[in-house]
Amino acid sequence: MTENAIITAHGLRKSFGRKEVLHGLDFEIPAGRIYGLVGHNGAGKTTTLNAILGLTDCEGTIRVLGEDPFARRAQLMENVAFISDVASLPRFLRVRELFALISNIHPNFSQEKARDFLTGTDIRMDAKIKHLSKGMIAQLHLAVVMAIDAKLLVLDEPTLGLDISYRKRFYRRLLEDYMTEERTLLITTHQVDEIEFMLSDIMFIRDGELILHMQMETVNEKFSQLVVTDPAKAERARGLRPVFEETRFGQTVLIFDGVDRAELTQLGQVSTPNVSDLFVALMQRPTANPSAA
Amino acid sequence: MDDFHTGQPIFVQIRQRLIEMILQRAVGEGDALPSVRQISADLSVNPLTVTKAFEALVDLGVVEKRRGLGMFVKQGARPLLLAHEREKFLTEEWPRIAAQIAALDLDVEQLLSEARTPETKGTQND
Repeated sequence: MTENAIITAHGLRKSFGRKEVLHGLDFEIPAGRIYGLVGHNGAGKTTTLNAILGLTDCEGTIRVLGEDPFARRAQLMENVAFISDVASLPRFLRVRELFALISNIHPNFSQEKARDFLTGTDIRMDAKIKHLSKGMIAQLHLAVVMAIDAKLLVLDEPTLGLDISYRKRFYRRLLEDYMTEERTLLITTHQVDEIEFMLSDIMFIRDGELILHMQMETVNEKFSQLVVTDPAKAERARGLRPVFEETRFGQTVLIFDGVDRAELTQLGQVSTPNVSDLFVALMQRPTANPSAA
Repeated sequence: MDDFHTGQPIFVQIRQRLIEMILQRAVGEGDALPSVRQISADLSVNPLTVTKAFEALVDLGVVEKRRGLGMFVKQGARPLLLAHEREKFLTEEWPRIAAQIAALDLDVEQLLSEARTPETKGTQND
């Protein structure tokens, strides 16, 4: 285990009945990073997060801040905060009462900070949670978790159902007021384009397996996207074994893994694929036999 | 503001923006540059990426880190950057542009006079 790893997992497996949903994941997440965990619905993202948060017992080993999250969940939660996509705040409480409640149960929660984070929003301290809009509840939730002095913050689809300006503000807040070198962020989202540049590392999970776990910098060096208009050049490009190919608007778009960019530049326009293009490319089966477009 | 293009690494694009800020005198010599945190939040970019952009400028000798205060433009940064950017243009971009001018059979003199007439850009005199 690396000295500064926040999370380490070895052979992490989980079955529900006879169906295995995690097939032995191995990964390590160091401190100070912003991790994106991306996968289809049902790929095993939430199960992985639940294992990290000690909400589910798994085979294999998992350590969060050096502890077994399932066995030592209560202690661990002092240093871990999370927003789950199904999380709900107690609707019958007022904001003020919520803050008082959390400061009673969470030793690292600061009511003052939480109140500070609400400045600039329309959320009043005496408002009942059930009267808040969806966007306001998300803001409240974010204010609560940012006011917890945690080493690890896990965000499971934190912006689901929010409009774009709320989403932008949400991430802006996170980077401006929360992120430091001592903190680690683990985010899952389907709107990965929005956070792509925020991430230091990315993990793709497909059918219970990690198919990509890489620093974003390495992703940018390793993968290239090539757009070709000339069919003869497209044919030559195919010879370089793309991992993905599709036809868009009369152009052939190919994605390569570890092919020299200088070589590709002679065939067409080369760029770095964005995370969602890469996701589409890697999440389906490699194109050993490219389908006729 | 997050209008990055995919051709270059993000840290390079941020570095270029910082260079432009200095060249256009949006930030003067001896002045503070925006903080890593601020740029990171403004552009929704990982703080490490922003740090890397700054480090590139520190290596060029045009920016210095003052402990606890942030990043500052060094004295003499502008002429240094100007020389650096000119050199980069002449070695990296100009050959390609020149080749394209030749390929399209354009008249350089005419291009230059057309570029000059509508609005004369400030001439560099340092």
